[in-house]
Amino acid sequence: MIAVEQLTKIYGRRTALDAVSFEVPRGEIFGFVGPNGAGKTTTLRILAALMEPTTGRAFVDGADVSRQPDRVHERLGYMPDFFGVYDQLTAAEYLDFYAACYRQPKARRKKIADDLLELVGLTDRRDQAVDTLSRGLKQRLCLARALVHDPAVLLLDEPASGLDPRARVEMREILKELQKMGKTIVISSHILPELTELCTMVGIIDQGRMRATGPVQDVIRQLTSGRRLRITVLGQREEALAVLKPLPMIHAVSALNGAIEAEYEGDDATAAAILQTLTAGGIKVSGFSQLEGGLEDAFMRATEDQQ
Amino acid sequence: MNPVATALWNPIVAKEYRSRMRTWRSPVAMTVYILLLGGLGWAIFSSMTFAARNSFNAGQAANYGQGLFLYLVLFQMVLLAFITPALTAGAISSERERQTIDLLFVTKLPSFSILWGKLLASMSFVLLLLLLSVPIFSLVFLFGGIELDQLAAAFLVTAVSALTLGIIGIACSTAFRRTLPATVSAYGAAFVLLAGSLLFGLLFPTDVDPNATSAPAPPAVTYLSPIIPLITIGTNGPISNYGVRNGNNNIYPTAGGGMACSTTPGGVQSCYPIGPNGAVSKAILGRSYNPVQARGTTIPSGLFSGWQYWQATVTMQLVLSLIALIAGALLLSPIRHLPWRRRAAAPSTT
Repeated sequence: MIAVEQLTKIYGRRTALDAVSFEVPRGEIFGFVGPNGAGKTTTLRILAALMEPTTGRAFVDGADVSRQPDRVHERLGYMPDFFGVYDQLTAAEYLDFYAACYRQPKARRKKIADDLLELVGLTDRRDQAVDTLSRGLKQRLCLARALVHDPAVLLLDEPASGLDPRARVEMREILKELQKMGKTIVISSHILPELTELCTMVGIIDQGRMRATGPVQDVIRQLTSGRRLRITVLGQREEALAVLKPLPMIHAVSALNGAIEAEYEGDDATAAAILQTLTAGGIKVSGFSQLEGGLEDAFMRATEDQQ
Repeated sequence: MNPVATALWNPIVAKEYRSRMRTWRSPVAMTVYILLLGGLGWAIFSSMTFAARNSFNAGQAANYGQGLFLYLVLFQMVLLAFITPALTAGAISSERERQTIDLLFVTKLPSFSILWGKLLASMSFVLLLLLLSVPIFSLVFLFGGIELDQLAAAFLVTAVSALTLGIIGIACSTAFRRTLPATVSAYGAAFVLLAGSLLFGLLFPTDVDPNATSAPAPPAVTYLSPIIPLITIGTNGPISNYGVRNGNNNIYPTAGGGMACSTTPGGVQSCYPIGPNGAVSKAILGRSYNPVQARGTTIPSGLFSGWQYWQATVTMQLVLSLIALIAGALLLSPIRHLPWRRRAAAPSTT
């Protein structure tokens, strides 16, 4: 649905994007993660045909963003990271205006506005002036605006930034709803936790370069070298460390808050073998669990190489 | 949608009308406009009635009508020169500042539609102001001395000048990212258009050819200013001595405020030229610099020879508007496909 090939953008002497490539198949939610200034917004603006790449190409549903911007705009809903609203317009008029800009027939515009206000939970704010809405409500209205022409692809640049936790949860619920409707969504964010449970795919970008891209678990596996165990023992921490350290499959062991964290190479059988070795050594193990490698960890590893 | 409907379809206009007319600013602006114009009309009217309390005849009445009309059209032009740039200079730059322009660029609305939608919305307000001033101008017909075609020509010149200032304002608004420089440059352009072109006539007057069979005319650049045609329309006389070397650079034409005529009881009509303030223009009566004096309201010589002054002004301003509109449209689109801006060369891979 979205294909980005060797996208490069140079501002003066600064390279904002350096040969960025990734693909997002239909129906996926792609989390575009990276620190501030990594090139996320630049990539999304190029995808929205608001900016021309220095070199490289990008396609939205088969339409080239540089050559067929009109076709791209038909298929795409874009929500920028910073945006304003007009004074003196109500929420319904605001949506009606953008629906008209997308050439939706007048007869259908009222229904479109009502349906979208319901989708984002703003039905009771229908006649409120948009400039008096809170930031969270404005974000939701802007999301509704991006949907007035029922696009197949949504580009959301930092949709949850500046939102309080409650508004963030509500935004996530709306995005889940959109996923059910079969939309392909690209969400950029510098905050990881809001993405982990929502995204099916992830791309990690740093300093204009794509560090990793693919399904979430693949990326995590790709970036975190081993699996991790969290072991708690009954007062025999030193002894347990002494048993674990010489084992060949263990990469690193550390004591954290009364528990031991061990990184190892292998599968579940290896984990069972480690537990057996511990109990055979007379260690009283009270807790033994595998830690899921998180996106955050993967992200930290992907970006720390550059430091 | 058929092609005509597509070309005319512009939701920006309706949206702008809504936002503009829902604030207090618009009715306040209209009220102030009418008060200023009406106030000037009333002041001139009272000074004339004061001056005419001893004697009054039909010739003087026509003369007062002309004087009133001339002051009103000139004042209206100056007022609009202050109002129009303010209406349009922020049209695009404020969308940039508010970060709403990208939301328009990603719709199906072509950039040019954004431009003309904004322009139409601003210009409708100017048109509204012009319509509001019609009752004040109708005062002139109490006195006479002005025909309906003069009024129409004066309104046309005023409207076209306002349109030109509006388009220049929009072009400034697209060229600059911020509203402040856009506004400053739009006012600068308004000043150049109204006063700068007149100043050009004073600084670089036309040289008089003693053998010429037609009267000299000011340089063509000066017709850009709506002031000259408004004066010729108002006075129904030619411009002379302005913009011509060795002229006395009096911007008022030979005929001043027109011809004041009186009819003797014997039926003989005598006319004499007077200034717009009603005084007999002695300086003009006694001196004649040019071999041939201009007559009527047509341009006697030069590029627009034979044209009415207002026709030359309207033509030049429309050409200027077109240029500004094209420049604005080229500058507006998010990806500027300007001929001199090619895509940069491929970066070296490091």
